[in-house]
Amino acid sequence: MTLTQRNMSQETERADGAETVLQLENLTKRIGRKTIVDHLSFEVKQGEIVGLLGPNGAGKTTAIRMMTGLIRISGGDVRIAGKSIRAQFKEAIVHVGGIIENPEFYPYMSGFDNLKQAARMTDSVTDTRIREVIALLGLEEAQYKKVKTYSLGMRQRLGIAQALLDRPKLLILDEPTNGLDPAGIREMRDYLKQIACSERIAILVSSHLLSEIEQMCSRVVVIQNGRLVTEQSVRHRTDSQQPAIRIRVDKPEQAQEALRTLGQVQVQEVREAESELLCRVSDTDIPGMIDTLRLAGVAVYRITETTKSLEDEFLQWTGGSQIA
Amino acid sequence: MRNFTRLIQNEWLKLTKKRSFWVPVAMLAAISVLVTVMLYKFSTNVAEVDSAAQYLASMLGASGLGQFAAILAVVGTAGIVAQEYSQGTIKFLLIRSRSRGEILASKYIAAAGYTLMMTLVAGVSLYAAGGFAFGFGGTGAQWADALQSGIYGFVYSLVYVTLSFMMGALTRSTGVAIGAGLMGSMFGGIVIFKDFYKYFLFPNADLTIYEKVGPPLPGMSIGFSLTVLGVYMALFLAAGYTGFKRRDVAG
Ligand SMILES: Nc1ncnc2c1ncn2[C@@H]1O[C@H](COP(=O)(O)OP(=O)(O)OP(=O)(O)O)[C@@H](O)[C@H]1O
Ligand SMILES: [Mg+2]
Repeated sequence: MTLTQRNMSQETERADGAETVLQLENLTKRIGRKTIVDHLSFEVKQGEIVGLLGPNGAGKTTAIRMMTGLIRISGGDVRIAGKSIRAQFKEAIVHVGGIIENPEFYPYMSGFDNLKQAARMTDSVTDTRIREVIALLGLEEAQYKKVKTYSLGMRQRLGIAQALLDRPKLLILDEPTNGLDPAGIREMRDYLKQIACSERIAILVSSHLLSEIEQMCSRVVVIQNGRLVTEQSVRHRTDSQQPAIRIRVDKPEQAQEALRTLGQVQVQEVREAESELLCRVSDTDIPGMIDTLRLAGVAVYRITETTKSLEDEFLQWTGGSQIA
Repeated sequence: MRNFTRLIQNEWLKLTKKRSFWVPVAMLAAISVLVTVMLYKFSTNVAEVDSAAQYLASMLGASGLGQFAAILAVVGTAGIVAQEYSQGTIKFLLIRSRSRGEILASKYIAAAGYTLMMTLVAGVSLYAAGGFAFGFGGTGAQWADALQSGIYGFVYSLVYVTLSFMMGALTRSTGVAIGAGLMGSMFGGIVIFKDFYKYFLFPNADLTIYEKVGPPLPGMSIGFSLTVLGVYMALFLAAGYTGFKRRDVAG
């Protein structure tokens, strides 16, 4: 836990004034008369993990396909480390590692041979680097087995390995936890955090799994119908406001009475049934609050923080009904 | 240049690491031996054949086993573009720092290499079987004829492999690619006696015809056929390239 927190603060430090690795400028895709991605603009900096969030059909995959040159751009541009993917494709894409939708490999070749295939398409990847990446993702055991015998979790890992080979500045992952079990999801999340830190790269992850995004991203970009809805910083989100807390006591009404005199605590709701109070109070005022309650003869059983989950906000931003 | 050779190496490994790689090769070798045995036992046409080299010269062209080699080369290479789409590996291939042109070119060169390999397989197995039937060796002139037949057989195969390659790149379907290559090589036997037909691909593909029976239509010569073939192949490759380069890769 402490380790993660330290990593987080390092990340934030690096993100300030760090190099912009990915820049979307009014990125637009039209197919026929339909506009699937509509003037989308945002940035990702070195060391950041940014979530690309949106309900089904929002245009996440389409945007990512444009960023990687798989489909043509109808308008606007994508810059990777300053290079335009339209005008300088090779110079731009060399900084990108990616998994677009599912990680697909040549099933009749081993994991190692598939990585060799990827390595031969780069200028500089050596066998030593391949071994390094295999070790990083824990694929030593599986590397000489044919990919068709791999489980989805192993294929996802091989996908990440393949993406990391050429030391990219930007990792673009379209639903990397797709089809993984809870343990696999957790593992993937830990890998990504570790990689962002150890390889010092920017990561853009698209997902529907909001709680996932919340747990690993420093920022989220929410899109709907191809348009940007909002951009939010995940870690700073709660700092700006007083955290909401839930206090369980023996006599809720008496507690409410006692706290009314205390200006720093706003009691928002009393829940008789659960014998709880919902209030907003800053960290420094909590000791005083507890003293007041004790003096009023109220027994405090439990104090918990209630953060509004990203999921709730997501539903708010995108109008609820649309999400699958 | 080294980078490009490594792309070709990739493509070659993709073709040869598949277990099904050996099927067309084994079939071609088996048919070569079988046909030789049949001819030796039951045919009077081969009475004057006195060496394996002479036998090769008569068999490597499209009228011999060349057509069969062409069909198997088409089958072996038809998936080279289409399968990347059906496997989903096309994304893996295109999000690297290599242009689509380089990738397609490396695939075509690997396909041409496979075609050459099939011609050699036919040559070696016919020579081995023919050696037992008619005696090994041959005169210098016979060897020159054998080499020429081999080259003509290769050109014939390559024409239809190129046609199939284009169809694969345009339609992303292995089935359509095989179909196009097979249909093409079947049309070769049909001659429409109209002047315009000499500008079609089919009557020009088999160059051995000039030695064996003469020009299929008036006004045709080996130089004429080579020009027509060159133009068609350039068109096929240009069409395949344009389709491959412009396509949106989704799904
Ligand atoms: N080739 C196409 N032709 C027409 N419409 C398309 C095409 N590709 C995508 N779309 C449409 O564009 C919209 C966005 O699709 P996209 O796959 O980018 O969404 P997504 O955000 O990735 O969704 P999901 O969360 O389900 O993966 C969808 O409504 C889809 O139907
Ligand atoms: Mg998607």
